[in-house]
Amino acid sequence: MKKKGCLPSLFLCLTITLLSFTSIRYTSETSIKNFSLKNVNNKTVSLSGYKNAKGFMIVFTCNKCPMAKFYSDRLNKLHAKYQSKGVYLLAINSMDTLAYAEESFKLMQKKATKDKLAFPYLQDKLQIVAKQFKATHTPQAYVIWKDHKGQYTIKYKGAIDDNAGDATNAKPFLANAVEELLNNKPVSETNTESFGCRIFYRGEKESMY
Amino acid sequence: MKKSIITLIVLAITSLLQAQYNNLVIPEALYGTTFNLNIHESTKQLRTGNLTVTGSINNETFWGPTLFINKGDEVHLNVTNNLNESTTVHWHGMHLPAVMDGGPHQVIPAGTLWQPYWTVKNQAATLWYHPHLHETTQAQITKGVGGFIIVKDPIESALALPRTYGVDDIVLALTSRSYTTANQFETPPTSTRVYGDYMLTNGTPNAQVTLPKQYVRLRILNAEIERGYNLGFSDNRTFYIIANDGGLLNAPVAVTRVKLMVGERIEIMVNLGNDTVGSSLDLKAYNSGQTLGFPGGEPNTTGQFGSLLNNIDFNVLHINVGATTTSPITSVPTTLENNTYWTATTPVNVTRTLAVTGGQAGTPFTFDNTPFVLTTINKTVNLNDTEKWTVTNNNIFGHSFHLHDIEFKIVARNGVTTQVGTHESGWKDTFYLPRNESVTFIGKFDDFADSDVNHPYMYHCHFAGHEDGGMMGQFLVTTTLGNDGINPSTDFSVYPNPANEKLYINLSDANTEIYYVTIVTVTGRIVMMLPQPQWQNGIDISSLSSGVYIIQMMDKKTKSLTAKKFIKK
Repeated sequence: MKKKGCLPSLFLCLTITLLSFTSIRYTSETSIKNFSLKNVNNKTVSLSGYKNAKGFMIVFTCNKCPMAKFYSDRLNKLHAKYQSKGVYLLAINSMDTLAYAEESFKLMQKKATKDKLAFPYLQDKLQIVAKQFKATHTPQAYVIWKDHKGQYTIKYKGAIDDNAGDATNAKPFLANAVEELLNNKPVSETNTESFGCRIFYRGEKESMY
Repeated sequence: MKKSIITLIVLAITSLLQAQYNNLVIPEALYGTTFNLNIHESTKQLRTGNLTVTGSINNETFWGPTLFINKGDEVHLNVTNNLNESTTVHWHGMHLPAVMDGGPHQVIPAGTLWQPYWTVKNQAATLWYHPHLHETTQAQITKGVGGFIIVKDPIESALALPRTYGVDDIVLALTSRSYTTANQFETPPTSTRVYGDYMLTNGTPNAQVTLPKQYVRLRILNAEIERGYNLGFSDNRTFYIIANDGGLLNAPVAVTRVKLMVGERIEIMVNLGNDTVGSSLDLKAYNSGQTLGFPGGEPNTTGQFGSLLNNIDFNVLHINVGATTTSPITSVPTTLENNTYWTATTPVNVTRTLAVTGGQAGTPFTFDNTPFVLTTINKTVNLNDTEKWTVTNNNIFGHSFHLHDIEFKIVARNGVTTQVGTHESGWKDTFYLPRNESVTFIGKFDDFADSDVNHPYMYHCHFAGHEDGGMMGQFLVTTTLGNDGINPSTDFSVYPNPANEKLYINLSDANTEIYYVTIVTVTGRIVMMLPQPQWQNGIDISSLSSGVYIIQMMDKKTKSLTAKKFIKK
């Protein structure tokens, strides 16, 4: 019966199907579900805990990668600049702790203390959040933004900036995206090349993403 | 108008930048009998703007230290894999037991210490070490993981040859890389390109070096992914090949050009004694106009087989002539070694053939239509047999063939003895196999019989993409002597427990031979791998953090595992 209902207007059904595919392809903004992860201070942090948040800068990073090490100060500055504007920075370590002793929670705590990280540094032990974002490298940055329904979608994906060794001569992709969103503008560069150490997913031969 | 002026200025600045040379990196030299190698990710300023993620060893930022070892010494390698992925380290050209060889089976997981050791049987030679993890070799070599090994022996030491490392005796690892918009290496799994757009000599872009006004020695390795090099000097001067893969030739060979394929090494001497101090010359790749099948001779500048360096002549090293040193080498010795070689008519125990197959209609290259399978032993060689192998390439492209375990002698090309190049007239482990050619070599598989199917030797194309794609096979060297049918008890105990510095093994059956020891955390992370350990002196566990560990012992005869728990204080 259900099938029959569609038959007289098969063309219309097809058109709608095609249109919806098309719209997915062109305006796709991956929505991000709420997640809860353990912070280095042993407290749980979740997106839903930030009631007044407009958006988040989500940065996948780790303890050991030499590229990730360049960015602690820069992330502290981004955090300081945008938290008062309702945009919070969450750093997430999704490295496989079974494979890498250096990525243990204890050593995350040590890094947070040593680098005086002012923002949460969360452990994604089961790599669930990284898979939700399809993260590939450390460091890799995302901006997620809250829509009128309270849903978060990815507005920016890529590098924090384009010059790891020289912050003063770097194009601040991540900050630019946040600025544009705060000014109700579309993000002009939504996707940049992320670089650093690869995130390997436990049980997968190659990263699927 | 304004725009075009700006464009012109930008172009002018760009060309100025390109003309600037960077000082050649001379990898740190390590001496002795124990070598600590820490493989890790690193970053290097290779281009204007962003840093590039590289792979390196110890203090280098691309590539690794040069290991100086002496023939006859027992050398111990402490290899720690601090990459964030598994790797292996193969000692290319070294004659050593298969279980120490570092082939694709000897996977060192991230964070693990691997401790191979062996007695150096090779004669004086320039060898190298590099990752060999199946299907990941291209990515890890692209990162820059690798290094030179310089073997010394009394014969070489007695000759009047340049040998002051970094002064009149330098190593040159030749390769090239392409970069993404973020200045990262183009590499698998995100790129299928095999030729770099920009030359790197010892990881140095636009490299220059100052060499003294006298005879100098260049130890050159083709460390590429796939490109061949047709080397020569910018003024076409004659230079002398004194050694190839396995060591010194019997006599130097005077040439003006030499082709060096991936994995091959040559040592050359070139006379700078007639040059003016302050003058310069270039070591170049004369790669334009090569015959079809020469890797890097393709006309394309983009795409999978394209490169800005394809089919052109380009600089490898800018040499500035500096002051003569206090005791310069002023001539090339007329004789070097006294190697006795087999010839095409030498009687052999076994004759084998291998054919290059595949490579067409999107299939990867193979040998004998058999893609590499990790669990298949393709050849079994009897210990002490002398074998003659002919590798035939009636296919669409050139290759670089490498055999593990031994150095061999090329006795014929296309069945003709006189077609063997003078530059490849010594002991070899790697050779260029051009399209529509065959190469015949003879080798003796002495030493190291071991029927362990988990630690075979390899033969393969040294183009990293080709070996990753399955153009590889494996062989065992075995002997019929051995199994008496009596299996010893493999039980053992460890002491002291808890242990701090050293852990000792007490075998319940003194006839048990320990083949492999692996130390694992209680969560299953491998932390130490010890092939055929010298356990009688205790196992050094000082590098472990405190906690509970499992020690797994594999005995030689049954290859079964027995495990015990111990506590590290």
